Amino acid sequence: MGGSQGPRHLCPALVIRLPRGPDGTSRGFDPNSPRYQALSPVSISTAGCGNEASLEREQQGRVALRERYLRSLFAMVGRTIHFTMYERVNVSAFFDASDIDILNFQVSDLQTPLGVHREALLRCSDIISYTFEL
Amino acid sequence: MRPSRASLSPSPPARSLFPPHAPRFPAALRLPGAAAAAAMAMRQTPLTCSGHTRPVVDLAFSDITPYGYFLISACKDGKPMLRQGDTGDWIGTFLGHKGAVWGATLNRDATKAATAAADFTAKVWDAVSGDELITLAHKHIVKSVNFTEDSNYLLTGGQDKLLRIYDLSKPEAEPQVVSGHTSGIKKALWSSDDKQILSADDKTLRLWDRNTMTEVKAINVAMSVSSMEYVPEGEILVVTYGRTIAFHSAETLEQIKSFEAPATVNSASLHPEKEFIVAGGEDFKLYKYDYNTGEELESYKGHFGPIHCVRFSPDGELYASGSEDGTLRLWQTTVGKTYGLWKCVVPEEEGGELAKARVSLPGTAEEELEDLTSENSDSIYSSTPEVKA
Repeated sequence: MGGSQGPRHLCPALVIRLPRGPDGTSRGFDPNSPRYQALSPVSISTAGCGNEASLEREQQGRVALRERYLRSLFAMVGRTIHFTMYERVNVSAFFDASDIDILNFQVSDLQTPLGVHREALLRCSDIISYTFEL
Repeated sequence: MRPSRASLSPSPPARSLFPPHAPRFPAALRLPGAAAAAAMAMRQTPLTCSGHTRPVVDLAFSDITPYGYFLISACKDGKPMLRQGDTGDWIGTFLGHKGAVWGATLNRDATKAATAAADFTAKVWDAVSGDELITLAHKHIVKSVNFTEDSNYLLTGGQDKLLRIYDLSKPEAEPQVVSGHTSGIKKALWSSDDKQILSADDKTLRLWDRNTMTEVKAINVAMSVSSMEYVPEGEILVVTYGRTIAFHSAETLEQIKSFEAPATVNSASLHPEKEFIVAGGEDFKLYKYDYNTGEELESYKGHFGPIHCVRFSPDGELYASGSEDGTLRLWQTTVGKTYGLWKCVVPEEEGGELAKARVSLPGTAEEELEDLTSENSDSIYSSTPEVKA
């Protein structure tokens, strides 16, 4: 490297390792990093402006809501979901899976005005709401 | 009146020790590590940061914070990334844009990020959690975003030829709009303690007063502006167009000086202590010039595509380049010095250090060192390294 430096006897500057890349499983922003711990988002303030009890209640509330939502995703699998999307788009499909950040839904037999797509990916940011029957 | 030209690399002086392109180290080497490196005539080993899948078109550093400094990269894959500035380690990816991200910036303490994208929006992000905070709808592709020093206002500019100033405490409110550009805005920056705005389009550089929202000065530029960097200390504007790297006063827009590079330059950056300029462009190479004399000091191959952006870190110890090849590379300002992931090797320990080099330079770096295959250099990678002359 450093091709224009000519003679081959120049020793390469050493590195102790290469930069770490994305871990491929999440979008990062490790909540265990010192910076995150110190500057963590406003709603859960660890600086103690709420008392311990209200913090605990808020956290429990978040846990319950999150768990309920994840279970709802499970309940959707294999069912017909009706999606209301932007630009007055209404489609329905069988729900297969979501990705980990709830950014995309994998669906099959997506019914659209243009026809049926056997397999498709719906971008969640394009979805306004969806309904299904249990 | 011809501006000063970058001198071509001179033919070797009487000292045959230094071949034409060997790095010349500044006379005042302050640290022992750097002095040892100079004695060794080290070869630059850039650090490649992978992760992006499409060209990297913009990058920006934060200031130095209690947690170090940070780097954000804008990519045509729509997923800008935040990295630790001194190591290039990935911290997180900002997910949400639906099109190529053309511009990215961090506020001073890297708690907020802003991005400009082809999906006609600019977004403000929490740079600690990665959450999207605000989406600002525009009428066309947004190219440039810039925070004020207090992070309270965001300046945007893009293909709709309008400058917009958003009050981030009232994101729902309409922005202040400044019109006047006659072609798409490439870059818009706050200047003079956020009292003025500098903006560049295809053919002009303009200076605006923030309070009156009126144009103070405009100058024509010979060719389409490819990049612009504002340096507050000294009120210097670094502008690139064609093969020219030009320096203008940020207050008057008068040109101070300019250099010509060997090929079309897409971006240039001025070292914080104003000793060096780095620039990169269409020939895939990075060039380092002495800012005062315009002499070309070093040049590096390494990228596999045109370089779109280069920036010095806030401490000037390294510079980052983003390329069409989808990678970011970090380069040392003083080659061989211990800093970040680079480790200075002291000549006496050469045998031992170089044996370790084999282990610490994994496969992906080998292809970058492929020209180190002469019979002399083979021994660097053998198990019983010989001491090099």
